[in-house]
Amino acid sequence: MKETIYQTVCPGCGIGCGLYIRENGNGSVSIDFLKSSPVNLGKLCRFGMKLPYYYSRPASSKTEGVVSGAEEAVKAAASRLKNAGKIAMLSAGNTTCEEHIAFTRLAETLGTVVHTGIPVYQELPSECHPHLEGMPLAEIENAEKIVLFIDPYVQYPLLVRRLLVARRNGAHIISAGTKELHLAHENRDLSPEQYAELELDSNSVIIADVHPHTESCHTKQLLNLALETGARIHFMKPFINSEGANRLARDKAGMMGISHIMDEIEKGDIKTLFLLDSDPLEMMPDSDRTANALNKLDNLIVISSRDSPITEIANVVIATEPLYRKRGTFINAEGKLRENSGQEVAGIDAMSLLSRELGSEGFEYRQMHGYLHERMIETLANENRKPEYGIMQCAPVQHNGACILKYLFNPFMWANQPDDNDFVLLNMNMVRSLKLRKGGMVRLDSEKGSMKMRYRVERVPDGMILTARKLQVATGTNTTVKVEGC
Amino acid sequence: MVGIGDKLLGYATNPDVRNRGASGGLVTAVLAAALEKGMVEGVVVLKRIDEYEAIPVITDDVQEVLASGGSMHAVPVNLTKHAVGRKIAMPGKPCDVRGVIEQAKRNGVDLENTYIVGLNCGGSMHPVVTREMLIRMYEIDPEDVVGEEIEKGKLIFKTKDGEEKAISIDELEEAGYGRRENCRYCTIKIPTNADLACGNWGVIGELAGSATFCEVMNEKGKRLLDNAIEAGFIEVQPADEKSIAIRNKVNSAMLKLGDEWKGRLLTEIHDQERLTYYIEQFADCIDCGACREVCPVCTCGEDSKCTMFHSLADNYKMSMYHMVRLLHLSDSCIGCGQCSDICPVDIPVTTIFRRFADPAQKKRDYSPGMDLQRPPFLELMLK
Ligand SMILES: Cc1cc2nc3c(=O)[nH]c(=O)nc-3n(C[C@H](O)[C@H](O)[C@H](O)COP(=O)(O)OP(=O)(O)OC[C@H]3O[C@@H](n4cnc5c(N)ncnc54)[C@H](O)[C@@H]3O)c2cc1C
Ligand code: SF4
Repeated sequence: MKETIYQTVCPGCGIGCGLYIRENGNGSVSIDFLKSSPVNLGKLCRFGMKLPYYYSRPASSKTEGVVSGAEEAVKAAASRLKNAGKIAMLSAGNTTCEEHIAFTRLAETLGTVVHTGIPVYQELPSECHPHLEGMPLAEIENAEKIVLFIDPYVQYPLLVRRLLVARRNGAHIISAGTKELHLAHENRDLSPEQYAELELDSNSVIIADVHPHTESCHTKQLLNLALETGARIHFMKPFINSEGANRLARDKAGMMGISHIMDEIEKGDIKTLFLLDSDPLEMMPDSDRTANALNKLDNLIVISSRDSPITEIANVVIATEPLYRKRGTFINAEGKLRENSGQEVAGIDAMSLLSRELGSEGFEYRQMHGYLHERMIETLANENRKPEYGIMQCAPVQHNGACILKYLFNPFMWANQPDDNDFVLLNMNMVRSLKLRKGGMVRLDSEKGSMKMRYRVERVPDGMILTARKLQVATGTNTTVKVEGC
Repeated sequence: MVGIGDKLLGYATNPDVRNRGASGGLVTAVLAAALEKGMVEGVVVLKRIDEYEAIPVITDDVQEVLASGGSMHAVPVNLTKHAVGRKIAMPGKPCDVRGVIEQAKRNGVDLENTYIVGLNCGGSMHPVVTREMLIRMYEIDPEDVVGEEIEKGKLIFKTKDGEEKAISIDELEEAGYGRRENCRYCTIKIPTNADLACGNWGVIGELAGSATFCEVMNEKGKRLLDNAIEAGFIEVQPADEKSIAIRNKVNSAMLKLGDEWKGRLLTEIHDQERLTYYIEQFADCIDCGACREVCPVCTCGEDSKCTMFHSLADNYKMSMYHMVRLLHLSDSCIGCGQCSDICPVDIPVTTIFRRFADPAQKKRDYSPGMDLQRPPFLELMLK
């Protein structure tokens, strides 16, 4: 009857909801609600509620595709890395700060940097970088006006309650995203030239996000809006420790976006990819194209706490303990440091051994945590900074012509997770013009193929089809499609 | 030997357990003795993390049970689901007990194998709201709190420097603090549905604060107490008339207050407004399904009616999930508040469900979770 309880943080999105994971005597896990967590009061979204499934597939170490011991996998990784040419290292923020720091140590030994996969850091002037940090979520509740460039219901569900509190406190909420939101007073489809109509001022908050597929032009336009109006800007981040990983990066401008990395792999410029709890097959919109690109690598080395599509095809997998058991900390989207109660350090130990195998010094958890504390003052200072950047010019990518299938990007994208969001959103005009039957299907044709999907009617712009999960026919976050009723 | 219906004052014989206990450690000692003597295989205890946080775990370690005493008013858990499929003893507020009985009606719990030591309950508080209340209303640093109690309608907090500050519960609740909304209109304050009903109401004189008032509700309760006395874990004495009268008086006053809150919050929804009310209330639902997951009376499992008829792809103005649940729970909702607590968008789910269920339950003079005598009015009772 012995149960083990871990106090941890949801590995879903950057909000960092506190919860308990209960390991039952028979090895299964269940969740319990950490009601004293100030971030979420014990509340969880659909993803958090499904964590037992997420945690049901622990990773196994593999050497050359065959299950092996972790030490053997570390040695195989070392031998591949020693002989590798240009190495790209990616840690998107799905693990603890301490593991991320250890990975950065390995990058130093290997003479490279750790990328977090978010392209805007490379594409925006460095004086903008501090303004990409999140602000305390509680402050959203006191804003007078809030403009949303995200869909909180789908992308960051635990933001909804903050917005509802703000609304009850008198905030005027405008949705400037692609979909009509129930909690908004106004739902507006605005072009950047019309942003002045929002009439923002210093009591306003702009909420957007930066993720692996954010178009930097959009981010620039929002930073311009904040600069011109004095409004505060809050950027959500997709993964549990995206904020931590990005704040800890020393050379943000040198960090590549994940699409850029994949392009270089496709071109054959990068031959070795070394990943820490980051799966491009899950993160990239087109899994097939990504799988083809990864096939071109000489070395695919993965450190992972869970089984995912990338661990199936990697040359070497170094398995670590599940996230909830790790000793370590996370920095959530508002800059709050959250700590696991778990005490396991297999991930750090494996990286330390790898460091020694590569001819450098080993390290311990304590040192990684100590480094975090040294950087803490810098990393956690997220007060309302005065902008030091100027107005930026940019030309948005035009999507002309046919219908656009658009990813309503959410951190989970439901890769490998059971969920019943297997439908697309389209508007009534499209339903009428295609004569779609209620309860019927819509056919989507792209250059990659064809598929039928159920649909739901929403107020989205004409010609737009939204999806909250990855679809086979998608070639990017925006895919030109032909649609037919069926 | 004690008898069914006895009203006793008692305490743990182990001084540590007695001191750590909320009012005498009797509950802890009874649970520990049941485990020690093999009446059960495990005990549900609250593993304390700090003043505002604890997590229920099942243990088969008597020492862990003995170390678990004390009442945590800012830990609004429901313990029902821990009894499912197990042979255990557990403490239980009235809503925990009601959950177990509803489970038993649906064969989720075998009551013969489940011993419940009931705790009187004037209400519980949400931990984060409690912290905020301490700062705003009491001007106390939540980390300085070492204990709290309710006396004469006031909530008193004690700090580590020995200070005490009291504010009336009415004042706190008018300001949006104090007990959770559902606790205010909860109608069971003494868990007469448990095997034993324990509390501090009626403990007066020199025993005040160091003894527990305990009523033996049934044969299992008698077994629990006899076992603990025989094992030398507790001592008991009959409660006198004055103690009994005080307990009854406080209970009546609390029930009257509960009825007043009920009148304020569970008002009738008129036919013309009904549909708009439900559509509006659930409009921000993000379909997490947590309200079903935490519901202590739900035995449906994966393929439940509420999820089977519901699809995210639907364009209904109100989801089938909530419609089915409203109906399905109308004969079993016990108003424990778990669904409101965990709703990620702060929908007052419990109050919405109680407003739906209350008239139906009242019409049939049916109170779920109180006994196995009457089957749920929408279902068969499985035996
Ligand atoms: C939320 C709450 C409100 C209460 N309100 C009243 C009241 O108004 N009037 C009254 O007479 N008595 C009330 N009680 C009961 C009282 O506080 C004592 O628990 C009771 O007198 C038994 O004392 P004891 O020393 O024998 O219990 P102990 O030996 O201290 O054992 C207490 C048991 O309660 C369990 N427990 C603690 N907190 C909770 C919780 N939040 N939920 C479920 N189980 C819990 C512990 O795990 C332990 O098993 C309340 C208890 C709780 C938990
Ligand atoms: S619902 Fe009733 S029994 Fe449950 S915690 Fe609240 S007051 Fe106590």
